[in-house]
Amino acid sequence: MRRFIFTFLSIIVSFILQTTLFRYIDFGGIVPNLLIILCASYAFMRGDKAGALIGLFCGLLVDIFFGSYLGFYSLIYMYIGFIIGKFNKIFFPENIILPIGLIVSSDFVYGFVCYVLLFMFRNKYDLGYYMSHVIMPEVVYTALVAVFIYPLLIKINNYLEEVEQRSAKKFV
Amino acid sequence: MSPVIKRGGDKFTLPSKYLLFILTIICIGLIIITFNTSAFNGVVNSVAGTFVVPFQKGITTAGTWFKTTSDNLASIRELQSENESLKQKVDELTNENTNLEQDKYELIQLRELYKLDQQYSDYSKVGARIIAKDAGNWYHSFVIDKGSDEGIDVDMNVISGGGLVGRITDVGPDWAKVQTIIADNSSVSGTVLSASENLIATGDLELYNEGQIHFSKLVDEADKVSVGDKVVTSNISDKFLPGILIGYIAEIEEDSNNLTKSGKITPVVDFEYMNEVLVITQKKNTGN
Repeated sequence: MRRFIFTFLSIIVSFILQTTLFRYIDFGGIVPNLLIILCASYAFMRGDKAGALIGLFCGLLVDIFFGSYLGFYSLIYMYIGFIIGKFNKIFFPENIILPIGLIVSSDFVYGFVCYVLLFMFRNKYDLGYYMSHVIMPEVVYTALVAVFIYPLLIKINNYLEEVEQRSAKKFV
Repeated sequence: MSPVIKRGGDKFTLPSKYLLFILTIICIGLIIITFNTSAFNGVVNSVAGTFVVPFQKGITTAGTWFKTTSDNLASIRELQSENESLKQKVDELTNENTNLEQDKYELIQLRELYKLDQQYSDYSKVGARIIAKDAGNWYHSFVIDKGSDEGIDVDMNVISGGGLVGRITDVGPDWAKVQTIIADNSSVSGTVLSASENLIATGDLELYNEGQIHFSKLVDEADKVSVGDKVVTSNISDKFLPGILIGYIAEIEEDSNNLTKSGKITPVVDFEYMNEVLVITQKKNTGN
């Protein structure tokens, strides 16, 4: 329950930050994708099922506020969460390179899927421009932010696990 | 034991691929439903409004405060920004001055030529603050802090600084989503005032950085349209009220079909530094 509330709150907070505060510290109009960081990190820590559900929730938030129809971003975020969740088998809290790599690649995939579905299908084929002006800057900025956020999430995750174990022991 | 539901410990658990499958179906269902109808808009928008919008309002206020404070502390930066803003102001005022003169001239001209008894200054407007901008980097849309409680409705036009910003595409009780005209998925039907020829102005992600939008389908056989001409929303647009200034023509090129022209328009609104907007609480009457 505690975990659920925490996850819920952290997603809401990062969505709010992404749409407000980070808009003030953007580089050339590009903001880091906090929701992808959260979605990928949680999926990596907790597995595919949780990843898919968290992705769905992240996407739904984006859909409600900025999507044209509900379900579009939900679908993208959900699949990213699910696929990253498959890497849960090789999850170690100490390792930081792999999760950052996963976050970076998921942001890249997200950007690419967005390009294909939203731009290429409308006959906008200049992939090079979109790559160098939207996708890559976002990936780099997201990676930078992820380096700070991921360890924080790991710490909170460890704390929550400890609390859960303690309360489980109490009942035995 | 059924293959779908496995027994895990003493409670039922669903294998993840089935969960994913079910959720995918739900998502696709949602896309189809919201694509065709607006069944969920009311409920979902009010729920989101109560959870997220108050925080966005607060943080935007705090963010604005934070930004001004940090600017104040760094005196060099302050001077620089002040210098910049003063320069901007001089530009603005010069612009405004010429604009006013132009407007005056145009008002007379317009009233004579088009017999417009209403300029858009006569429309009733509601001021609103921008509280959140698009979560991604692909489109330019933003959220304002007023919604259906204030009488704002979908398809109302949004202006700022005398120019067209966009239109409302989604509305909640105390928030509304504005799609800007520079968004890649937006297009506006416009008229070149000097030649009264129609064109289609489309937002283009590749022109964001130059601060321009793209136009096409301009029929100009007599070559009357030139760089610097004013473009306003046209009478035939079904979403935008007529006569709202979009911008000035910056570039014209002949299309390969030799019939139409395309090029670029510089919008009058500075989308980068926009904090407050005006919503025109009057919708275009298209006869339905």
